Amino acid sequence: MDSLRNSLRRLNPLSETATEQSQGTQTQGSLAGRLRDSDFVESMPFWLPPTLLVLLFVYGAIAWNVAISFTGWSGLGQPEYTDLSLEMYRQLPADQNFRASLWNTIVLLITFTGSSLVVGLGLALLVDRKIRFENTFRTIYLLPMALSFVVTAIFWSWMYARGGLINTTLEGIGLDWLAHNWIGDPQFKLAAVIVALIWQFSGYCMIVYLAGLRAIPNEHYEAARIDGASTLKLYWRVIIPQLRSSTIGAVVVLMVFALKAFDFIYVMFGTNPGRSVDILAVTMYREAFSSSQWAYGAAIAVVLFALALTIIGPYAYTQYKRGAL
Amino acid sequence: MADLQLDAVTKVFTERDGNEITAVDDVSLTIEDGEFLVLVGPSGCGKSTTLRMVAGLESISAGQVRLGDSVVNDSKPKDRNIAMVFQSYALYPHMTVRENMAFGLQESTAMPDDEIERTVASAADMLGIDDLLERKPDDLSGGQQQRVALGRAIVRDPEVFLLDEPLSNLDAKLRAQMRTELKRLQNDLDVATIYVTHDQTEAMTMADKIAILNDGELQQVGTPLECYHEPANLFVASFIGEPSMNFFDVTRDDSQLVHDHFRYDLSNETDDALADAHAELVLGVRPEDIALQSTADGAHTYATVVDVVEPMGNENNVYLTIGDEQTQTFVATVDGMHHVEAGETVYAHIPESAVHLFDRQSGRAMRNRTVESTTIPETKL
Repeated sequence: MDSLRNSLRRLNPLSETATEQSQGTQTQGSLAGRLRDSDFVESMPFWLPPTLLVLLFVYGAIAWNVAISFTGWSGLGQPEYTDLSLEMYRQLPADQNFRASLWNTIVLLITFTGSSLVVGLGLALLVDRKIRFENTFRTIYLLPMALSFVVTAIFWSWMYARGGLINTTLEGIGLDWLAHNWIGDPQFKLAAVIVALIWQFSGYCMIVYLAGLRAIPNEHYEAARIDGASTLKLYWRVIIPQLRSSTIGAVVVLMVFALKAFDFIYVMFGTNPGRSVDILAVTMYREAFSSSQWAYGAAIAVVLFALALTIIGPYAYTQYKRGAL
Repeated sequence: MADLQLDAVTKVFTERDGNEITAVDDVSLTIEDGEFLVLVGPSGCGKSTTLRMVAGLESISAGQVRLGDSVVNDSKPKDRNIAMVFQSYALYPHMTVRENMAFGLQESTAMPDDEIERTVASAADMLGIDDLLERKPDDLSGGQQQRVALGRAIVRDPEVFLLDEPLSNLDAKLRAQMRTELKRLQNDLDVATIYVTHDQTEAMTMADKIAILNDGELQQVGTPLECYHEPANLFVASFIGEPSMNFFDVTRDDSQLVHDHFRYDLSNETDDALADAHAELVLGVRPEDIALQSTADGAHTYATVVDVVEPMGNENNVYLTIGDEQTQTFVATVDGMHHVEAGETVYAHIPESAVHLFDRQSGRAMRNRTVESTTIPETKL
């Protein structure tokens, strides 16, 4: 060890003094000195400003919203934070509009997510079969995702309308009895919205699944073929089960989107779409900004937030346990 | 149980621009029931493609693959009664070891569940992986995954076993151990086996019969010792053996071989054997056949300078240079106790009995070393 140090000293006469200096600061070891040298403090300029901004504008806003929901704030006045109660939450279960929109939100959440996944998976499996013009198909299927929801909402409302593409086509092929005012009839309004949303989002699911499929080595297909699996069994037992993490990722994204599918419905139907297609996001907006029932709107927002947490919570927890967070 | 026959099997790939590439060219092989054939060659030589054609994962451009009496060219993989072990093992990550092993039986046979259970259990027992049955592949070490991949093939009770570089992902020590184990396993199962590898050590140690491929063409088929001692051409001579055979470009001048730095006298016997040969030859000699001595006594002894010594413990690989410019180097393997130092001058004795001669143009062996016939067992070709 000594000989090594000596030879080092010979190589670099400065190193000796440098070593002594660094030892000196170490032995001082005051709290201030340690703090100054720590990575935590040194890196502060980089992470502190964005952290503060996020804390204020995201978590601060959420907290403020929760606080408002405990007040009775409505109309033009200011919220009174002295008299907090659960009154708004007590009103919720009795409100027919709220119950309908909660129900619609859940229906939208489940059918939209499920169908988008199934359609996306189907597209991904088809595109993954080394077909011609694969890139073209991929782009075509993904394109709706790039459109603004306002745009899709408007042109789907044209397609659904009396003289729109869908009804004209149905009449053209002799299915007049199926022609319908799709977005006028409360029976079909929600379904019409869900179909349009599936159209827009299945391309996203396809991309997620395609990435998952590409990660499965070719040998798995070959091994399964040698094992004697038919194409159907091959996909059902070997390939699709390996897409589990892709599915979970897509489900979280789709569900969170479904919860706030506000712009779509707002553009198609305005703030008062009727009970058949009301969702929590729209109800909240209407209560707060149209009726000035600020506290009541805030309470609905909290319910919506809780729903989002129940979706993301388990996902975040499993990711955390697997060390991915 | 049946023999597997490849009859003039050819595979031509057509590239996107219409170029045709012949990956496997007119390969004919017979693998008898219970025989262990190792298909060996450098990467890109077509050995894996050949295996995949037997498996049914690759179509056959020309020729026939026969299993017993039936041609299986157009049969699906599952109808060929083969099992294959992949280089990457290709274990299904979402299934337990038990499910991985049972999958093939569930999909390809009508075997009842309890019998599948018993078959899997006995195969696992045979491979010593019975305590891993409930684990997932990701929780297993490379060696354990390898065993599971073998187990998955064994449970199928196939007529032909195909192994595609199954040991190449293991570390050196485990690989040596698995070599022995695989060989024993194959002996016990007594199933025709094709084993693909680029590692000539695996080929030598495991094979009943080696088939050497280069550029899609079959170079030689024979027992390991045949291929080692009686290589059919330059390629086989250089590919089999570690360190490789030494080669010297020589020109025949009557009963002498003339090299830039030395002349090698030929006996009448050897001279006769070369009667029809071209004058341009390659002289080959295995490192272990070169003897190093301190004096220039005897015929076929040449002064050389030691360049590098690689001690292996049991033996030393001594790299030697011959001639003033030190342009020609070659290697001699000597006993580990034989002490030589770099820079030393030693005398290399190249015995005529150990000399191989190849036609330089075609690479074909004109004369192989003499071997006492009893040292090479009869091949069943």
